[in-house]
Amino acid sequence: MKRQDLLNNAERAVETAKKYGAHLAEAYVNNNKELSIDVRQGQVETMKLAEESGLGLRVLVDGRVGFAFTSDLQPGSIEQTARQAFANAASTAPDQNRNLPRAFPDYPRLDLYDRQIALTSVEDKIAMAKTMEEQACSYSPQIKVVESSSYQDGDVEVAVSNSLGVSLSYRGTYCGVYISLVAGEGDDYQTGLDLDFSLSYEKLDPVKVGKTAAQRAVRMLGAKPVNSAQVPVILDPYVGVGFLGLLGPALTGEAVQKGRSLFARKLGQKIASDKINIIDDGTLAEGLASSPFDGEGYPTSRTTLVQSGVLEGFLHNTYTAAKDGVSSTGNGTRNSFKSTPEVGTTNFFIEAGTASPEDLIKDLTEGFYVTEVMGLHTANPISGDFSVGAAGLWIKNGEIARPVKGVALAGNMVDLLNNIDRVGNDLSFLGGQGAPTLRIASMSVSGH
Amino acid sequence: MFGGVSIIDKQILKDVLAAAMSEGGDFADIFIENKKGTGISCEGGNIERVHTGTDIGAGIRVISGESTSYAYTNDLTLEGLTKAAEIVSHAAVGTKKELNIDLTKLQPVVDFDIKMRPEDIKTEEKVAAVNAADRAAREAGGDAIKQVMVGYGDVVQQVTIANSEGDYVEDERIRTRLLVQAVAAENNIIQTGMEVVGSHSGFELFKKFIPEDVAQSAADRACQMLKAKPAPSGRMPVVMAAEAGGTMVHEACGHGMEADLVQKGLSVYAGKIGDKVASDKITVIDDATMQDRYGSYSFDDEGVPSKTVTLIENGVLKDYMYDRLTSTADGRKSNGHGRRESYQDKPIPRMGNTYIAPGKDDPETIIKGVNKGLLVKKMGGGQVNTTTGDFVFDVAEGYLIENGEIGPMVRGATLTGNGPEVLANVEMVGSDLGFTIGTCGKEGQGVPVSDAQPTMAIKEIIVGGTEQNRPNGKIRRL
Repeated sequence: MKRQDLLNNAERAVETAKKYGAHLAEAYVNNNKELSIDVRQGQVETMKLAEESGLGLRVLVDGRVGFAFTSDLQPGSIEQTARQAFANAASTAPDQNRNLPRAFPDYPRLDLYDRQIALTSVEDKIAMAKTMEEQACSYSPQIKVVESSSYQDGDVEVAVSNSLGVSLSYRGTYCGVYISLVAGEGDDYQTGLDLDFSLSYEKLDPVKVGKTAAQRAVRMLGAKPVNSAQVPVILDPYVGVGFLGLLGPALTGEAVQKGRSLFARKLGQKIASDKINIIDDGTLAEGLASSPFDGEGYPTSRTTLVQSGVLEGFLHNTYTAAKDGVSSTGNGTRNSFKSTPEVGTTNFFIEAGTASPEDLIKDLTEGFYVTEVMGLHTANPISGDFSVGAAGLWIKNGEIARPVKGVALAGNMVDLLNNIDRVGNDLSFLGGQGAPTLRIASMSVSGH
Repeated sequence: MFGGVSIIDKQILKDVLAAAMSEGGDFADIFIENKKGTGISCEGGNIERVHTGTDIGAGIRVISGESTSYAYTNDLTLEGLTKAAEIVSHAAVGTKKELNIDLTKLQPVVDFDIKMRPEDIKTEEKVAAVNAADRAAREAGGDAIKQVMVGYGDVVQQVTIANSEGDYVEDERIRTRLLVQAVAAENNIIQTGMEVVGSHSGFELFKKFIPEDVAQSAADRACQMLKAKPAPSGRMPVVMAAEAGGTMVHEACGHGMEADLVQKGLSVYAGKIGDKVASDKITVIDDATMQDRYGSYSFDDEGVPSKTVTLIENGVLKDYMYDRLTSTADGRKSNGHGRRESYQDKPIPRMGNTYIAPGKDDPETIIKGVNKGLLVKKMGGGQVNTTTGDFVFDVAEGYLIENGEIGPMVRGATLTGNGPEVLANVEMVGSDLGFTIGTCGKEGQGVPVSDAQPTMAIKEIIVGGTEQNRPNGKIRRL
């Protein structure tokens, strides 16, 4: 589908909704194409080509919101969707802060489309996944199983139109590689994975990804639990991203307004170590979550949420901003046409520090370098309490001494943030979220 | 059969399958879906969302050897389907063949009796159920309750599946669920209580589970948690009550018995059919044919009729859960576990309703037999590394057991263990059985499941608590 067609569909849906009696109406239409290739033992195991399009229609009637979506873009179906959205509005609570954004004279200009992705042949993309698998296998004879070695790319077109004059569209692409594998020695099996997603095809490095995953699995062979201890803990960037992900919802205006943020009433206060800056940037160059406007057509921006440990602000969409009497930060994010624009993160990260990851280890007489946590999704996002299974490497006299598994890490997010004493210079992104290596001065590790 | 979409003619399906296999391949299928749903949410006493949606689409697959090609589209016209079929045909390898299939409609082995179809219930009635739950949670919890979230969802999923072997299946899955989350706060302590019910049924779900009762359980738990002590840490005996549900069996052994993980060497249960893998008190079954259960279906998403599959019998590993691809690799028939989230996903082996069969021990006697340990009354989410069998899950409601008596409630406990080790350490199995429901995620696909277990005593599990995380004896919480 052409971008102009998407926009036409969106505008037609807005008109239809107005006809049914909506005071304000907004249509979000997207068309996604996706290719994914999984290779196993040098053969293509799965090749998937996908195309999806659909329309989400939000209407406002006397401050009441109604929403309906459809992936059937025939005119009759759009009519029905408009009728449903209007009918749904009748059951929701009225709220005068409900509004839609007006058009802006300017939106961030971002380079989100890489022609190289479309120009590269499927054979070359298969070859990339094969290379990654070969690199992993040749790293060590201990690599027993490559669970999946995958290449993926996508082409996304989005159009947003509303009855206040917003009429916008953009197109973006992304690509990436992912590998997960198992190393084995005797009865001992350990998993490893790595991935690399980028807006630019040229930036993908399958050789490095394959080797890194293999190294991660091999270094865990022989892992055993340790005795319970209170020690400094280092979180590798992937683990740091996991913990950061827990903070995202708490830093939204929505969570604060609904009393489910652990940072409510903390604006201007210190909530983390002064080494910590947390940023959300929908305009980040090469950011996987970058876009010129958000899911309701508001320009994206860079928002400093935490500066030197002090809470500076929250993320907003049009609604939560109106409720707080502030401006939207352009964080009305949408997963797809099937959902309304909720407050969410874009490129969300902890800024890099200055120390190399090695430096963080060097001055510890004893410590735990965490490379994997399990069950982070069971953490309590409101109280900040977490208790997770962890695996990683034990540090003794400034060096990695041995692999560790089967231990539990428990604590509270606020304590963890306040106890960060050093921040690495190796900011790494996992999709739209990023963190450098982080060191926590002390944490309880439960083992035997 | 499709309301808003023209019925796809059998001849079109034949043509599309033929186009998909025109360049070769061993097997092709098409999965056409029309899914309509309603979602209602209430927060802060206000109905915030009433969403309805229609998602239509088709997924076409060709398998050649061990290689699968898959394409999906929302365009259900002959042109759209043929285009998708041609895409997959180019990815298939093998010799060209003329395909002449005769599609035969398969009859279901189970019939789910839906009494109150979601589309026959007015939006106002659904909203009323949500409002009733919201009010009940507030009233039950009094001043301590600070926030109540109620979510209602129903979905009517109609599917048509046809394949190159001539199977033709029409199926309809209707599911309804209600979730209540209550947040209680007192003296700077915040705790949440969550309760979710759901079934393969329509609005009659609320005859079995009254929305107010569901809400009350959630609110009560949140309030009790305020008074709970931090959980202890270390290895200790654990009793899991039947009402705790089956998160553990799902994580600790269910995933490891999915044939794709087994065949890839990613399961601790690989190559162990006929071996003793658990205490002889343990029998594990996956039964997707159960009436009403959230993980039930009459056909799986490859058109294979659902079955009752015994995975472990008296401690001995008997079978795995198969889809077509993995069953072909093992030279056998699928046992009806090929499921997918939607037309956008290829089917993979998944669980349905997984449970540990009830034993003979009296649940109360089981608790009495523990001198000092933890009683798990409600489990939270969990995760497993199938390769090692290591799992972790959250205890949503736990109590200390002291001298065989149920002691004070504790919060913040997680259980960390190893599936086969824990199942070998089961010492007593109760005569009761309790179910929980959930959405199970694997390879990015979420499918509805339920799981259950009787009350069980386990010799020892690592409990990760927050008790030792107490600077100077003072608990710091927000």
